[in-house]
Amino acid sequence: MTERYDHDLTLRAVAQPIYECLRCAFCFDLSWLGPANLCPAYAWGAFESYGARGRIALARALLEGELEYDATVAERVFACTECRACSEHCFKYIDTVAVFARLREDLVARGLIPPGLAAATDDLAETHNLYGEPHERRLAWLKDRSRVDRAASVAFFVGCTPAYVRRSLAHDTYAVLEASGLDFTVLGDEWCCGHPFLAAGQRERAAEVMRHNVEGLRALGVERVIFGCPGCMRTFREDVPAVLGEPLPFEVAHVTEEIARQVEAGRLRFDVYRSGTVVTYHDPCTLGRGLGVYDAPRAIIEAMPGMRLQEMPRHGRDSYCCGAGSFVRYDFSGLTDRTGDERLREAEATGAQVLLTACPACVTQFQQVRGRLGASLQVMDLVSLVRRLGRWR
Amino acid sequence: MDLLERLQAICGPEHVSDVLADRLCYRRDCGPTTGGVPDVVVRPESTAEVAEIVRLANEVRKPIFLWGRATTFVGFGVQEGCIVMALDLMNRIVKIDLENQVVTAEAGAIWHAVDSELNKLGWEMTVPGGGGMFSCTVGGTAAYNAVPHGITEYGMTGGHVVALEVVLPDGTVIRTGSAANTDAPFPIERGANGPDLAGLFIGSCGTLGVITQVTMRIRRVPECERFLFYAFERLDDAVDAATAIQSQRAATFLVGLFGGPKPDGVEGEAFLHVIIRDSVMEAERRAQAARVCCETFRGRPQDPEGTRRYWTEHMYSWLRNTPASAYYGSRPYYCPEVAGFLPTQALKEAIPMLHDYIANNADFARVGMHVKGFDVYFSPNSAFLWVDTLYPEMDPEARQVGLQVRADIAEMLFGRWMSPGGIVAGIAPYIMQRLGPTYGLLKRLKAALDPNGILNPGVLGLGGDDD
Repeated sequence: MTERYDHDLTLRAVAQPIYECLRCAFCFDLSWLGPANLCPAYAWGAFESYGARGRIALARALLEGELEYDATVAERVFACTECRACSEHCFKYIDTVAVFARLREDLVARGLIPPGLAAATDDLAETHNLYGEPHERRLAWLKDRSRVDRAASVAFFVGCTPAYVRRSLAHDTYAVLEASGLDFTVLGDEWCCGHPFLAAGQRERAAEVMRHNVEGLRALGVERVIFGCPGCMRTFREDVPAVLGEPLPFEVAHVTEEIARQVEAGRLRFDVYRSGTVVTYHDPCTLGRGLGVYDAPRAIIEAMPGMRLQEMPRHGRDSYCCGAGSFVRYDFSGLTDRTGDERLREAEATGAQVLLTACPACVTQFQQVRGRLGASLQVMDLVSLVRRLGRWR
Repeated sequence: MDLLERLQAICGPEHVSDVLADRLCYRRDCGPTTGGVPDVVVRPESTAEVAEIVRLANEVRKPIFLWGRATTFVGFGVQEGCIVMALDLMNRIVKIDLENQVVTAEAGAIWHAVDSELNKLGWEMTVPGGGGMFSCTVGGTAAYNAVPHGITEYGMTGGHVVALEVVLPDGTVIRTGSAANTDAPFPIERGANGPDLAGLFIGSCGTLGVITQVTMRIRRVPECERFLFYAFERLDDAVDAATAIQSQRAATFLVGLFGGPKPDGVEGEAFLHVIIRDSVMEAERRAQAARVCCETFRGRPQDPEGTRRYWTEHMYSWLRNTPASAYYGSRPYYCPEVAGFLPTQALKEAIPMLHDYIANNADFARVGMHVKGFDVYFSPNSAFLWVDTLYPEMDPEARQVGLQVRADIAEMLFGRWMSPGGIVAGIAPYIMQRLGPTYGLLKRLKAALDPNGILNPGVLGLGGDDD
C-alpha cells in the first residue's frame, strides 16, 4: 500500500489524514450563520485549490505522482493564514494544518518559498526578530531592568510584535503583571519564538531558536511562562515539544487567563470605561481555535461595569481570521487587506463602539484596516484596557 | 482566440483557470471514483455568462460538467478534458418573499445558508435540505432531487420547488411554472402555464439543462419539536411499527437503523428514531400516536437525547448515540453507497439478505471492509434505504472489492425491489437499462435538448459514449 508513495516527500508522514478527507466541503463556509466565509484564503483565491479540501486534494495528487511541486502549488499553500477554521469544522476531525505544514516543508526543500516570507525569515535568522530590527533593542521599551534575567518562577515572554512594533502593548502587559503582584522575570536574551520559521517550513531554524529560549527560561528556574501573544504561546505549547522532541519544562498561560483568574478571585475590579459602551470581541484564531481560550477574555469584559459585549455573528470557534495570520501579508497583501476589511465591517455591523481583541498581530492588523477604511470603530487590545481600568486589591 | 481566451472573455480572466493545481480540485465528488481532470475550470457570475459558456461549448464540441459543491456520494463522472463550470459565484439570495411564501436563490447558494437567513425571520424552507446540508447548494440539491431530512412528512426536495430558471443546452434561458409568463413573471405556482417543466429538470442531474435559479416554498418555523427513540428485538416488528407510523402520519421524520453499529448503550436488533415538528398540541397528539405504533409492536422506549442532537446538530453519529468525534474516527474509508426506495414491508426481506451477503462474502472481511449502516429514511409511504459499506481508501485492492460490493448490492436490490433516488454517473450502469422504454424516452429527450451531448455527458447514462 505504500508503493505509490515513491517520492522524497515529508508529506508521506501525513498520508493517512490526507486519505481521510471525505470531500464534504464543511471547510468552505459557515452556512449555519448564513452566507458566511470560513476560509480567508479560499475567499480570496476563489478556486478550491486555495481552500482546505483543495489543498488536501493537491497533497494527494502529489503523493500519487499526478502533480509536482511548483510555484502555483506554493502559492496555494502559503496563502493559508493557518487560522484553523478548516480543522475546527472538519467532519473527519483532520488536523489540516499539520498536513499544510508538511506541504510547506516540502516546498521549502525545493526552494519554493515565497520571496517576502523568505526575506523575512532570513532577517529573522540574523536579528532574532521578524522585523529586522537590531536584537539589542528588543527590550528598549523597558526602562526598569530590575526584573530582567532574575530568577523567578514566572516569566513574561514578550514576543517580537510587542517588543518592536506595539511597544505600548508590551508596556501594558508588563504593567498588568506587575500590578497583579506576580513575581516574574523577563528573559534578557529573548529570541523570536520560532513560529515564523515553521510557517516558512524551516524546521531546523525553528529548532535553534526554540532551544535557545527554552534553555534561557530553564536557567532562570521558570515554572510558568505568561504570554501576551497567542502565536508565541501556541508555538511553545504545541510546536516546541514536537520540534525538540521533549516536553516543555514549564507551564504556559495567556495573559487573559491570568487576568481572568484574578477577576474570579475578586482581586481585580474595574473602573467604568464609558457607561453604556458597546464592545465586540474578536477571537484571535490562535488564542481561540489554536489554544481553546474563549471564555477568559469574555469573563474580563463582563466584569467591566457599564460595558456591553455584542458578539459578531462569527465568534468563538466560528470566528473569522483578521487576515494577518501566518505572515501572509509579506506575499499576499491583497488577501490580508480583503480579510481584514471583511472582519472589521462585521465588527462595525454589531453597532459596537470598540473592537477588542487579545493578540498583538490582530490589533496591529485592525489598526491598519481601520485607518485605511476611515472607520470610527476604536480598536484596542483587551490587556491595554485592563491596564487602564484595573484596580487591584 | 483559443478556448481559454474565449472563456476569459466571457467571465473575466480571474474566473477561469487551466492551471493543473486548480483543475485537480474539480474532478471528484464524495464518491469512490476519482474522475477525469478537466482542461479548464470556469466560474460564471450570472445566468447570461452561463448561457454564453454553453453556447461556446456547443460550438467547440467540448463537454461541460456542472459543479456545485460536489457532495454527492456515488461518483459524479467528470470526464477527462472537459470544461468544469463551477457555480459557486452564483450564490446570491435573490429574494425572500414572505408575502408569497417563497424564496428565490441562485443555484450556487448554500442550502443551509439560505435556510439560516430565513430562520432569522422566523421562517424556514419547507424542506430541510439534503444529506450534505451544511454544504450542498440549492441548485445541486434540486438537480439531484436529494432525499431530504424530514422526508416522512415533507416528501422529496423536488416537491417543494416552485419555479426554476434554466439554461438549456443550446443557451436558451427559460423559466418554469408561473415564472414563465414574461408579462407576469411571478414565481408563485409550479403548476401554472402548462406542463410541469420544473419536473423535467428536477432529478435530471444537469443533463437536460443548467439550473441557475431556484424558487422554493417557505413557511414559519413550527412551534415545537418532539423526539422519540425505540428499540426492537425483531426487525419485522420495527418495520411494522414504521408502517403504522407512516399510515398515522405521526412522524415528520422517521429513521430506521437495521445494520451497522448499534446505538451506544442500547440493546436491540432494530431501532426507530421519531422526530415530530408541529404546534404543541398537535405534536403531542402525534407523539402519542407514534408511541402507540411502536409499543404495539413491542418497541421499547429509549432516551431520545441522541435523536434530538441528531436533528438539532445535524450530525448523523447521534443516531447511534455517539459523538461525531468518536463516530467518524480517523481512518481513511470511502463509501461506495447504494441507496434507493423500496416498499416499506420489503425491508423484512431485503435487510436479512444484505446481512447474509456480507456474512458470506470472504473478500469483505479480508480487505478490512465494514458496514457503516443499513439505514432507512422513511418517506410518507415507502422506505429510502441506504447501504453504507466502507472500504479502506489507501488500499487499491480494497477499493476494487468495494466497487464490486457496490455492484453486487445494486444488482441484488435494483433487480428486485429498489429504485435509486439520485443516480449520477456512478450508479447509472446498474439501473438505467432496467428502465426499458423509459430510458429510451430519456435518451430521446436528451438528444432533442442536447444533440451535441454537451451537458454532463454520461451522467444518468445519457449523452455519453454509449449513445
